[in-house]
Amino acid sequence: MAKSDNLARIIIGCKAGSAESFSELVDIYASRFYGYFYRLTGNNEVSNDLLSELFIKLVEKISSYKGGSFESWLFKVASNIFHDYLRGKQRRKKLLEVRKKQLESRKQEVKKSDSERVDKLQIQLEKLDADMRELIMLRFYSQLKLKEIAEMRSEPIGTTLSRLHRGLKRLRELMER
Amino acid sequence: MNGQNEENLKELFERFAGAEQAERAVEDVRKAEQILLEYPAPAPDDGLIADIKSEIAGAILPRQVNVFRRISYKTAVVAAAAIVIAAISVRLLDIGGGRHGRATAAMIPEALWDSDDISADYAELAIFTAEIEQIESEVLTLELGENGGNGDTAVSELEMELIEIEIAGDFWKG
Repeated sequence: MAKSDNLARIIIGCKAGSAESFSELVDIYASRFYGYFYRLTGNNEVSNDLLSELFIKLVEKISSYKGGSFESWLFKVASNIFHDYLRGKQRRKKLLEVRKKQLESRKQEVKKSDSERVDKLQIQLEKLDADMRELIMLRFYSQLKLKEIAEMRSEPIGTTLSRLHRGLKRLRELMER
Repeated sequence: MNGQNEENLKELFERFAGAEQAERAVEDVRKAEQILLEYPAPAPDDGLIADIKSEIAGAILPRQVNVFRRISYKTAVVAAAAIVIAAISVRLLDIGGGRHGRATAAMIPEALWDSDDISADYAELAIFTAEIEQIESEVLTLELGENGGNGDTAVSELEMELIEIEIAGDFWKG
């Protein structure tokens, strides 16, 4: 309850245009959204850009937040930003180039234990179809209930549940190979 | 990371599958989510966070200036409208004041209001009241059909009477 009261106070501050309140939101959510973007793009630089874009969008759109789950609303904004990013032709081109370089560099990083673990998950995640990967990341990073995720994706909860199950099962199989 | 979404997955799966199948599905989800926990994504670096915060501060300032401008424009428009309305109202009041002087009950002649002779006024008011009572009684008679049903003639007579009262302006002056 105290957490949600604190969040409500911060949101009121943001709506009033307080830089300090926005700064608090950055502290609360930056890591989660960075992880979300990173797992979806597999790229640090792109994740940096998307994270910056998310918070700038937040400044622009905070007045349109009319209550309800703030995290659900914010993840919806993040998801839109990610989709806009994917739609951007030039950006997509850039992403492909970056990924190419990334794959080359990955081959040389096999012996680094920590990054190897991170890379292993990222490599396996990329084997999943984009929508499934996004659903898994949304569930994992947003901490939203499946009902909320289903609403966000405008699909029945049964569809969300079955896709999530299939995706996670597949990911587990890939990781255990 | 897996905090708030500690919902009853088994119950959810059981809505769409048998108990045994639901249990296996929950197990799949839990194990895969455990893998995700074991492979944390990198964290954003402090420089990025500082950049974002300063970008936000930069974005807030022009917004505040814009909000101030918007409020100022709206206030100016409202103030201008109020001034125009006030000017028109004052002008209309001036014109109205010149024509009528003082507002009095339309049925009572101004001479009565202006007079200082209380006893004479009282007598005139008594006549005036009697006249009104007579008209009321005639109207009542017409409504009740006491004049033998000849309503049209009676109404015409009453109208003539009212016209006479209106034409003879000096009637009120006695």
